[in-house]
Amino acid sequence: MAEYAIEMLNITKKFPGIIANDNITLQLKKGEIHALLGENGAGKSTLMSVLFGLYQPEEGEIHKNGKRVTINDPNDANALGIGMVHQHFKLVECFSVLDNIILGVETTKGGLLQKEEARKKVVALSEKYGLSVDPDAIVEDITVGMQQRTEILKMLYRDNDILIFDEPTAVLTPQEIQELLTIMKNLAAEGKSILFITHKLAEIMQVADRCSVLRKGKYIGTVSVKDTTPEKLSAMMVGRDVNFVVEKKPATPKEVVLDVRNMTVASKHHKNNAVNNVSLQVHRGEIVCIAGIDGNGQTEFVYGLSGLEPLKSGTITMNGADITHLPIRRRLTMGMSHIPEDRHKHGLVLDYSLEDNIVLQRYFEPQFTNPFGFLKRKEIRKYANRLIEQYDVRSGQGAVTKARSMSGGNQQKAIIAREIDKNPELLIAVQPTRGLDVGAIEYIHKQLVAQRDAGKGVLLVSLELDEVMNVSDRILVMYEGEIVGEFDPKKVTVEELGLYMAGSKRKEAVR
Amino acid sequence: MLLLIQYTLIFASVLILVALGGCFSEHSGVINIGLEGIMVIGALGGALTMRYLTAGMPAFVVILLVVLASVISGMIFSLLLGVAAIKFNADQTLVGTALNLLGPAIAVVLVRAVNTAESVDNVSSTVVYGQAKKAFLVNMGSFEFNWFMLIALLILIASYIVLYKTRFGLRLCACGEHPQAADSVGINVYKMRYAGVLISGALGGLGGLVYITAGVSEWKFENGVAGFGFLALAVMIFGQWRPINIGLTALLFGMFRALSNVYMGFDALVALKLPSTIYNMLPYIISLIVLVFVSKKSRAPKAEGVPYDKGLR
Amino acid sequence: MSTEQKKEGSLLKKCIRNNGFQTIIGSLLCIIIGLFIGYIVLLVINPQGAGKAITAILKNFLYYPSAAAAKKYFGTTLVKASALLMCSLSVLFAWKVGLFNIGAAGQYVIGAGACLYCGLKFGMPWYGCLFAAMIAAALVGAISGALKAYFNVNEVISCIMLNWIGLYVVNMLLSNVKEQTTPYTRPLSSVNKSALLPNIGLDKLFSKNEFVTIGLLLAVVAAIAIWILLEKTKFGYELKATGLNKNAAKYCGMREKTNIILTMMIAGGLAGLGAGIFYLTGIEQWMVQQTSVPAMGFNGIAAAFLGGSNPIGAIFSSYFIQHITSGGTYVDKTMYCSQISDLISAFIIYLCGFVFFFKVRLNRYLDKRDEKKGGAK
Repeated sequence: MAEYAIEMLNITKKFPGIIANDNITLQLKKGEIHALLGENGAGKSTLMSVLFGLYQPEEGEIHKNGKRVTINDPNDANALGIGMVHQHFKLVECFSVLDNIILGVETTKGGLLQKEEARKKVVALSEKYGLSVDPDAIVEDITVGMQQRTEILKMLYRDNDILIFDEPTAVLTPQEIQELLTIMKNLAAEGKSILFITHKLAEIMQVADRCSVLRKGKYIGTVSVKDTTPEKLSAMMVGRDVNFVVEKKPATPKEVVLDVRNMTVASKHHKNNAVNNVSLQVHRGEIVCIAGIDGNGQTEFVYGLSGLEPLKSGTITMNGADITHLPIRRRLTMGMSHIPEDRHKHGLVLDYSLEDNIVLQRYFEPQFTNPFGFLKRKEIRKYANRLIEQYDVRSGQGAVTKARSMSGGNQQKAIIAREIDKNPELLIAVQPTRGLDVGAIEYIHKQLVAQRDAGKGVLLVSLELDEVMNVSDRILVMYEGEIVGEFDPKKVTVEELGLYMAGSKRKEAVR
Repeated sequence: MLLLIQYTLIFASVLILVALGGCFSEHSGVINIGLEGIMVIGALGGALTMRYLTAGMPAFVVILLVVLASVISGMIFSLLLGVAAIKFNADQTLVGTALNLLGPAIAVVLVRAVNTAESVDNVSSTVVYGQAKKAFLVNMGSFEFNWFMLIALLILIASYIVLYKTRFGLRLCACGEHPQAADSVGINVYKMRYAGVLISGALGGLGGLVYITAGVSEWKFENGVAGFGFLALAVMIFGQWRPINIGLTALLFGMFRALSNVYMGFDALVALKLPSTIYNMLPYIISLIVLVFVSKKSRAPKAEGVPYDKGLR
Repeated sequence: MSTEQKKEGSLLKKCIRNNGFQTIIGSLLCIIIGLFIGYIVLLVINPQGAGKAITAILKNFLYYPSAAAAKKYFGTTLVKASALLMCSLSVLFAWKVGLFNIGAAGQYVIGAGACLYCGLKFGMPWYGCLFAAMIAAALVGAISGALKAYFNVNEVISCIMLNWIGLYVVNMLLSNVKEQTTPYTRPLSSVNKSALLPNIGLDKLFSKNEFVTIGLLLAVVAAIAIWILLEKTKFGYELKATGLNKNAAKYCGMREKTNIILTMMIAGGLAGLGAGIFYLTGIEQWMVQQTSVPAMGFNGIAAAFLGGSNPIGAIFSSYFIQHITSGGTYVDKTMYCSQISDLISAFIIYLCGFVFFFKVRLNRYLDKRDEKKGGAK
């Protein structure tokens, strides 16, 4: 018997303008949990897509049990026993859990679907591995954790023995993460071989046997986890020692700039409120961070603040003025700046040029529009060029580059330049570093601290605990639409925060 | 009264067939706004077949041949939408609109060419098929039963089973809801979408045939199918893409349409002194009002109208 | 390579990369393929006269040997093209904001009903009628816009419903002002001459074609105005931003709902004006027993997309579509019928759906080629 369940040898995959995988080799032993580590854009997802038959590599071979195989589409991968839990779940939301599991491998009799046997098998599997789900529940009604278990059952139902987990912990609470890691260990113990894609070092240290590292499309090396340390792995991942600590002076909070009282926002997905009776204050000269697992009401809270969603009840006061019922434009001109969570959905008009995006919040001001409603193109160009230079926004053709063709980091820089240069009183930054490389993250953190030091109030919403701990002056934890704790980052541990984020602890007297 | 029921049933049959066609296409992820054009082409195929059928054939053969002709012409025509929308990522609304214009244009050009070839003086766009049409009808007392009523009912039941109880239906709906998910479990999204569009072509074509044989024994193709394809779209939305609801909605809309034909037989309605145009208009007004109430929580397939591109994930 | 050659090469390259240039190439391809298909259909129907018929369609008014007659019918084509241009402006304006105004057809019908009724029943002067046409159609457009903005009703569906409602309403309304013996409305020239658009001497340019009026100029002015509005103003900046990304538009405080309604109102008004400048020339009367929505609005969709959804492009594409539609009437009626032109223009709309794909492919090809070149260096 061959030692390796799957080997990917010297894989090269190119896209126009970029080599996503450059001569990468990955060997997965039978029954091991093998971590694949790398930053965003390191080529992990591309490599897995190659293994899953979604892309065809230009060079390289894939071997299963020592024999060369070709994988042209997911069907081939499936036939070879390769299954994958995608980062964004591939579930049909209006189908039941069972329908999602059998989709593609249905059994029929006389042309009609036979679900009874499938149901028995699913129930048996879920008991065997501790994957609790209700087969008849509709996917859009169940929790993210349950959706993920559905994805795992999908693989087990197909009797896959090579399981790929693509960033599976990003959407889970710390407790759910522990459950998942246990499940993964169970699966490995049953002889399944697992590829675990992540950029979280702690999880690798906890469950993985070996770890392969990619950086910028290149293969860096494979190490045995018990012989390494998080610091060594981190250095392999980023190619240099990272300064995780953000340089900043102690905060000197001044008067209140934002005062939210009893804000409640209805949810679009369920009957409960997305934001429930939240009160908080932000002072000038401090960075207040809202921490929490994705989907606990942070998004809706910011929508309520910025006016994208109406409030069910509560008041918002900015600089002493009641802005609860003001339209979005008024809030923005009164000194609110908002770096949105999703730069493609809200932050940019991707098919507009960079300069048109840079004036997106100011095009109506007299300096850019004359009294007859015509745009002053020359002024816009001048202004855009100044910001491009000042904030080092890089693009192919300068001010006239289409935003769509810019890199994620530079798109984000353009948004930050636009929002900061408005000289706001209150800066709301929602996951401002999501999906960016280390250099860009450092830059953005510096900008946030600079705004604080200039006496602005900064409200940061973040899912990354490193960012929460390093950048903020005060931490508020949000859980199921409520603020469940307030902390000084210097006096709290990540573990402690995790308990609050997962809802297993809460302080009652935070309001 | 009997006449009202008869007309209601036959118009409802048309709407059921065409709306189900739209339903299959949209469940696969392709918006089919070109149903009107598909109906015209289906009607054309059927009408020309009836015109050239020799007299004295058994009724069953006539029905079979005519239905086949409509279905096949509808399917071929719907391929225009399929290829553009699925292979070339064209804007589905634009292409559908083109189909609606193309259908009547082709029909008129062809019918006129046929008529003119027969006699130089005949420049009309009318096809006469009085004889062959009788094969579809069975007189039950004063009620004129049309085989298509039964066919529509059977297809309605079949659609329900296919969509909800078979492998094909499950996969089709997956392609309209989340094509990436379908692709990741090895379903060929393109194939399923072609299947959806072709079924809509078949049912749309058949619907067109039923429509032109509903009351009259000749059809002037310059009139197209007078907006029935669009009405069927409204039925589909009103029915929230579900076969049973579509059946009920079709009955309702069919009744309004029938009223405009036979309201003279009801003293109460005649006494209202409304022009018949009002009855023609009613289904459209009602659908507009209903749309206001149902559109906020529409159950439309999530990925409809979005071209599926394997490269984008 | 000499520097001059190099310059030329890069100029050509720039051209091929240019979006406008690609659009023009795409549109020309659509036209050529569309005409070719039309020719094939003619061949199938009757191989003998096909060549002659397709030339007749392309020649249109040049069919007449005398220059005076040709000029006169050129004028008629222009009058129809100007109405078509307004409809295509209506479609493309809405398209810029991400809305598919299939309702231009119905808005056109409402405009026709309003201006004819005002002219025939109330004896209003032409500017009053024109204004009525614009307002009535704008209101219908606003209904679709409001339904979209406040109730999330797909504008395509609501527009389709309104097309039919509009047709029936106008049929009923104009039945009051029709001639007793025919289903046509009474001619403006005999009932109310003041409702006819002034010629300001333009008719003399076209062999006294009395239907050539200021409508022609109005349409061209409208096209230019729409272009300026979209490209040069704050309002256009907002509308296009809303069309390209309505979430971003909302995020930066644009009133997207108001903009949607306003857009559909303007689109409706344009289509209504189109009806006004057509029916107020007296060139045609309304037939009150019509059972299908006039094709003008749908052809507007063809012209809008063929013109690359650019107002200036629409001037040319509208003329072209009308040119071949009018040309259709000159085919040999013993073999073919005039609807062959409808077939060709319908097919051209169909082909317009492929233009975007064509551009993407072309750019991908150019990228690949550049990459190879870059690698060679």
